[in-house]
Amino acid sequence: MAREFQRGHKAKISDLTAGTDLYVGVQMTGPGLSFDISCFGLDADERLSDDRYFIFFNQPKSPEESVQLLGPQAGDTESFRVTLDRVPPGIQKLSFTATLDGAGQMSQAGPGYIRIVAGGEEVARYAFSGSEFSTERAVMLGDFYLKDVWRFAAVGQGFDGGLDALLQNFGGEVLEEEAPQAAAPQQSGAPGFAPPAQAAAPAAPPSFAPPAAQTSPAAQAPPAAQTSPAAQAPPAAQTSPAAQAPPAAPAPTPAAPAPAPQSPVPQAPAPQPAQGFAPPPPGTPQAPPQTHAAPTIAAPMAPPGGPVPPPAQPGPPGPLPPPSAPNPYAPQGQQPPGPMQPPGQMQPPGPMQPPGGGPPSPYGAPGQVPGQPGPYGVPQAAGPPGLGAALQKYREAPTGQRWTLQNQQLVRIDLGADGQPVLARQGSMVLYQGKVDFSYKGAGFSGRVVGNATGQEMQLMRCTGRGQVFLAENGAQIHPIELQGDAICVSAENVLAFDESLQHEVRRVEGHGIPGGALFTMQFQGTGTVVVKTQGVPVVLPVTPTTFADSNAIVAWSAAAQVIISSQVRLRRNAYPGHSGETVNLQFRGAPGNFIVVQPYEV
Amino acid sequence: MDQHMISGYAPTPIAARMENHGPSMLKVAMQSGQDVFARTGSMVAYEGFVQYEPNPPAVRQMASQWLTGEGAPLMKCSGDGLLYLADYGADVVCVNLDNEALSVNGTNLLAFDAHLQWGVQRVKGMAKFAGQGLFNVGITGTGWVALTSRGTPIVVDCGRGEDETYVDPDALVAWSSGLKMKGKRSFKASSMIGRGSGEAYQLGFSGQGFVVVQPSEDSTDRLRARG
Repeated sequence: MAREFQRGHKAKISDLTAGTDLYVGVQMTGPGLSFDISCFGLDADERLSDDRYFIFFNQPKSPEESVQLLGPQAGDTESFRVTLDRVPPGIQKLSFTATLDGAGQMSQAGPGYIRIVAGGEEVARYAFSGSEFSTERAVMLGDFYLKDVWRFAAVGQGFDGGLDALLQNFGGEVLEEEAPQAAAPQQSGAPGFAPPAQAAAPAAPPSFAPPAAQTSPAAQAPPAAQTSPAAQAPPAAQTSPAAQAPPAAPAPTPAAPAPAPQSPVPQAPAPQPAQGFAPPPPGTPQAPPQTHAAPTIAAPMAPPGGPVPPPAQPGPPGPLPPPSAPNPYAPQGQQPPGPMQPPGQMQPPGPMQPPGGGPPSPYGAPGQVPGQPGPYGVPQAAGPPGLGAALQKYREAPTGQRWTLQNQQLVRIDLGADGQPVLARQGSMVLYQGKVDFSYKGAGFSGRVVGNATGQEMQLMRCTGRGQVFLAENGAQIHPIELQGDAICVSAENVLAFDESLQHEVRRVEGHGIPGGALFTMQFQGTGTVVVKTQGVPVVLPVTPTTFADSNAIVAWSAAAQVIISSQVRLRRNAYPGHSGETVNLQFRGAPGNFIVVQPYEV
Repeated sequence: MDQHMISGYAPTPIAARMENHGPSMLKVAMQSGQDVFARTGSMVAYEGFVQYEPNPPAVRQMASQWLTGEGAPLMKCSGDGLLYLADYGADVVCVNLDNEALSVNGTNLLAFDAHLQWGVQRVKGMAKFAGQGLFNVGITGTGWVALTSRGTPIVVDCGRGEDETYVDPDALVAWSSGLKMKGKRSFKASSMIGRGSGEAYQLGFSGQGFVVVQPSEDSTDRLRARG
């Protein structure tokens, strides 16, 4: 049973779970907001003395992999794997933070949480909402800290200044700052963040010393406080450039940054420099709150090659979903820029591509060409032979949450002891293990309505019992949406499965011209997960005064948005033979923060 | 013509006898003396000197149960060259058997080395499944096999619990040969799994091994359907 934490609560990890291999999930969303969730590994003085323990999207794991960034999954905006017994003794505290990326303030954030999952069970959850904050731009959500034993504390501490203030709090240094950081012996942060060779240079900001020619020079300029998310440059105000610089550092610096198109950084001179950032948490060796008015440099940041692929992991890292894998268009080597993935795709970085070890990556990583005997010779030594090796990349992901996305097209439900049944579309079960009973879910609620009106009943089955059920449907992409008391409308055709604990009702959007006379949607409300399927990669659009969608392509929308049917009558209705000349669109109205989801496929 | 945009899809140097070219195309490096059986109609391109023998006598004998009167679903490919195979955009998985055994659903078999031992069996007790018989092809030996899957497949271990693993036969791709398999029909009126037919049927697997499942209940044999 998950223990609910309030702000300030603390507990020993050992009281929560016996394990030390923890999954930490953070959910933090807000309309139009984008958050960077990161983890700081701090020393006994609450300083970030080793920048390799600043785990964020550009540095997804610590050297010994005790902290790994897993990316969004299972309803979490960001998730980490923390292996506490492998955390080196120098690290006494792991602080999980969320910082706003782009404009906005924390009060606009919706409800969120940080949770700890161990052994497939959620053991702790600290829920918060944006209303607890005001103008802050960064929040320390929770800490793991070592006081005799590892403990967890729900912090919920806001920072006005954003990531740079947060970094400063942790002993980072802002360029051109005169006032030393006081207290801590490694003041001014310089030795801490500098590569060892440069540690002797005390005054010079070693962070920006040009290191080996690995990173492009632009990448070393300190990012502005408001880093745009698209430009995947290190957001760490001062630290991370240096972090990427030393060749020994395992930062995921690609060898040759591809000349990816870059969105220039919003040049707004950091509107809220760190003055007035909230006091550090109690227990911090308190430095007098510096009014640092450092003009942070806004430089055109070169993202190290588009969407930075996390470093390839040598092997399957234990019981984890496969790491999001060497991008097939990995920047190493001379790949033509043709089929580059556009940066900022909103796909979960899950098991899209297999990790290394299987057959060679689709377009051939360099250096995989053994000598060829003949013109079409067959080198036999390509990877380890055997079934196991070939199928390794398709292994099931063993994280034991209730809903686990196995790959983009398959979701697994662990029906546990709580006995909460799941309703799923009939025929979507592809495999199950354990004692699971599938029973017909009477057409009492939706089937009858949908069936009567459209002639096509939506039939559900109820899955009860204990075991694992794998659901998929025709290779459609699958997206679990975790509801936290909010509501969403999903087009009935796109519902794959949902927790029975959710309240659901069928709504009918009537309109002239909609096939079947009306569009049936299911509104879900409560706490639980809805699994939505789409054909192809969907787009999520914010609702603006002029948001229209094809009624055939709409997948879902936030329940607060209002749907209006709008018809556009074409004057030249004979332009296309067979076309009615009338197109029916759905128009959406709603307060800012509402969104719609559209799939690239018209049913 | 500007070939810049498509230049990234040029064939890569050969690294293995069978390998993926992209997610859904198979590239086979052919050598004379090492023939390959491939699904009839799956060839999309070839380079070099490759000859095809549809309905070869060996296949005719082996696959006699598989046949329903039309031609054999396999052709023998021989020669020197590069052979590209695909099955309507399905994902292709190459497996290098190392003296191992694998059972593959007939629909999901794309190609395999001719020197492998193979045989066609009907699934016992389950004469007809989803409109078409479920045939499995047992393949044993050391060599390459290429499977197709509609969507990214998943491999599930069966030996995890005492309970059996039940698979929708339409989604089944392959399984390790050591598994015991039995059909499970459920005539419960309340049990509605499968394609809405009102009849629930699953394949139960027990024992040590794994099952490969595709995220789709589409088991249409498109290569066959085309004729």
